[in-house]
Amino acid sequence: MSRGIRSIGAYAPSNRISADAFADAWGRFDAPGIETKAVPDADEDALTMGVEAARRALSVIGVDGADVDSLSFGTTSPPLAEEELTARLGSFLGVPDTAERRSYGGSTRAGVDALVDALGREGTELVIASDCPSGEPDDSREHAAGAGAVAFVVGADAPATVVERTEYTDTYPGTRFRQRGSDTIDGLDIGTYDRAAFIQPVAAAVSALDSKEADAVALQAPNGKLPYRATGPAGIDNGDVAAVETVSSLGDTAAASVPLSIVRSFEAGNDRTLAVAWGSGAGATALVIEGTAPVDAAIEGGSEIDYPAYLRRRGDIVGSKPDGGAAHVPVPTWRRSLPQRHRHEAGRCPECGAVAFPPEGACASCGSLAAFEPVELPLDGVVEAATTIGQGGAPPEFADQQAKQGAFGVAIVRFEADGEVAIPMQATGDVEVDRTVRAVPRRIYVEESVPRYGLKALPK
Amino acid sequence: MRDAYVVGAGQSNYGSFPDESYRSLFRTAVENTVDSVDNGIAIEEIDEAYVGTLGVGGRQLGLAGPAVTEHVGLHGVPVTRVENACAASGYAVRQAVMAVRSGMADVALAGGVEVMTDLSGDAVRYWLGVSGETEWERLSGTTFAGVYAQMASAHMREYGTTKEQLSHVAVKNHDNGAKNPKAQLGFTCTLEDAVNAPSVADPLTLYHCCPTTDGAAAALIVSEDVVEEFTDEPIRVAGVGAASDRVGLFQRDSYNAVPAAEKAGASAYEEAELGPEALDFAEVHDCFAIAELMAYEDLGFCERGEAGPFVESGATRRDGELPVNTSGGLKSKGHPIGATGAGQVVEAFDQLRGRAGERQLDDPKVGLTHNVGGSGGAAVVHIFEKEEGSA
Repeated sequence: MSRGIRSIGAYAPSNRISADAFADAWGRFDAPGIETKAVPDADEDALTMGVEAARRALSVIGVDGADVDSLSFGTTSPPLAEEELTARLGSFLGVPDTAERRSYGGSTRAGVDALVDALGREGTELVIASDCPSGEPDDSREHAAGAGAVAFVVGADAPATVVERTEYTDTYPGTRFRQRGSDTIDGLDIGTYDRAAFIQPVAAAVSALDSKEADAVALQAPNGKLPYRATGPAGIDNGDVAAVETVSSLGDTAAASVPLSIVRSFEAGNDRTLAVAWGSGAGATALVIEGTAPVDAAIEGGSEIDYPAYLRRRGDIVGSKPDGGAAHVPVPTWRRSLPQRHRHEAGRCPECGAVAFPPEGACASCGSLAAFEPVELPLDGVVEAATTIGQGGAPPEFADQQAKQGAFGVAIVRFEADGEVAIPMQATGDVEVDRTVRAVPRRIYVEESVPRYGLKALPK
Repeated sequence: MRDAYVVGAGQSNYGSFPDESYRSLFRTAVENTVDSVDNGIAIEEIDEAYVGTLGVGGRQLGLAGPAVTEHVGLHGVPVTRVENACAASGYAVRQAVMAVRSGMADVALAGGVEVMTDLSGDAVRYWLGVSGETEWERLSGTTFAGVYAQMASAHMREYGTTKEQLSHVAVKNHDNGAKNPKAQLGFTCTLEDAVNAPSVADPLTLYHCCPTTDGAAAALIVSEDVVEEFTDEPIRVAGVGAASDRVGLFQRDSYNAVPAAEKAGASAYEEAELGPEALDFAEVHDCFAIAELMAYEDLGFCERGEAGPFVESGATRRDGELPVNTSGGLKSKGHPIGATGAGQVVEAFDQLRGRAGERQLDDPKVGLTHNVGGSGGAAVVHIFEKEEGSA
């Protein structure tokens, strides 16, 4: 076996909104072929979803973050327009500081572009495609906008390999774009022109393959209708696209769209998968993948939200940031605690062996001031004390989050690591004493315009 | 070591006073304190002052001590601001006792002040969170209601304590506060009111939480060498205990107790050479109902885990075996953070001197005050004793 895809992990937020909820609100729903779509919670974004997917891709084949030689991240919706987000991604995952990092963006092809480049590098590469596009509330692209993330572990001796690849570009400005400084995708909605911008590059890339034969086709899906406009010109079967599509349940997942369909194809055990990614502007990349790799996907919905709840999570009907100030933790102070924020790294006292969190100051057990030795904690812990912070009961820095998603649980969680430590954590749902929870990546808050990430407790 | 005595104590009304400033409230407290001294005292006779305040609102974070003492005409004396969150002025009293016992001062003023009701809701929530552990505990999304609610959850889990038992604390303290003309929430409430009130942080309802308050309080601590100049009925500071702990609840040895308070209580009992059975009353730090229940256990009023049934039995009502929070406590009298510890001493003084009006107990001899900072990062306990033979 040669270099290729060794494993895949996938994640989608558990919130779902139905097309009917949009239709009730607007009298219409402008994203054909979508029945439900995934909605990031108020503390989720492309970075946190990417960590979720990457954790799964690594653990399903027992690869440690420390074994990763290079890390790449593709998204059209980075939480910061400029900053090397692979640094924080790598910190969450324990990727070595010496690993190569690459970021891809500006196109819904970004995820597949990252995968293609990884195939050309050496060593173990972790490729993360994660996206949660958004648009103006009445825009068809916003109606379609979903959320999801996929991570590939790429390396030698892989069970799934790319046997052929083509690419095609045809210049079509103005079909889907996001202006500098804007959070929302836009377009001119010039019907025939827009369709041509999709169909031409897709059909051309597929036609250029020596063999486009496949058991399934993972085709870019800006909505649930456009992919099928291209099948005829590309000479591919509608059924092969429909068999592995995710747009009808997750919405437009942009850079993660094709990767998510690859997940579906691998889960189905298809020997041969044709993947066709498209990006506006416009261009397409076609890959033929032979074989399948182990998959760990958590993309099922958990909670149905209505349209007002959706608007709240989008921040569309949430007021400005309250006054009163936030708990000010200066960024350099925050940085010193990143191993704890991102990985719950605890410390063992070299004098008495007790485990401490955070691992700083005098040992609570013996009083020693000797430096703690790093201790890795399991992701799962047990709630020892818990409450629910109701609307208006949160410190001001969490008022925005509460306005978007309502009351949240808070708990002290005990983690066992040859000794016990307790960590105060916000919960992603209701928690009670004795409940088992898992530490999951979430945005904690935004202070001084800098998103701060950490771990929250997901009730199991 | 010299003995220290309380010869005067007084407070402002507790409540919401848009027309008052932190200085004017402190002035009222000092004037009432001076008025309470049997033989009178001139402000110039004060050698030293300690002022407890958290500085809610940030109005005078630096030099808050001189800012209020100069305002009341206490000119030129050494004054120190004491900050230990909600235990600020309990510690100010302790500092005054230390100054007197050490011989560095014969007359020391200990007081506290806070103004909390002139801020927006968001600003108040900001300030209510500043004494929690900032980097981890607060950033899990909690203010103190959330932290004490977690303590309640742990107490309920361990001992089967119920929401009704928590509510008995509110009913009792409101019953007392209704008889205290200086109380902020001087009305009675029923068990149903308390149980069914809106949730603040589950399992704590609105009636399980103290209000935010404007107010000031003060006490005069003098040495045994000069006490007779001021009164024929001296109240001796029989015992003082104080202790600290890790600021974050998650870092502590117990979630359903306040170890610093237990330690402070043990020290105070030891110094006073008496135990909880000798107490005639106590003022405890009931910022949340669960805090009063934990105080019963930390201070040995009942066995560990028995606080729920203990309050339910009526033992801590005014007519019970050990009346607790006859002033109304933080719940009904109010909780102006920096003033609270000194305000507890005011109630102890009033009870021991027969000045407690409608809520007066029958000739109490020994009383305890218990003041906790944050969720237990600091605690201070005082035991006051009416001198044998005094009228």
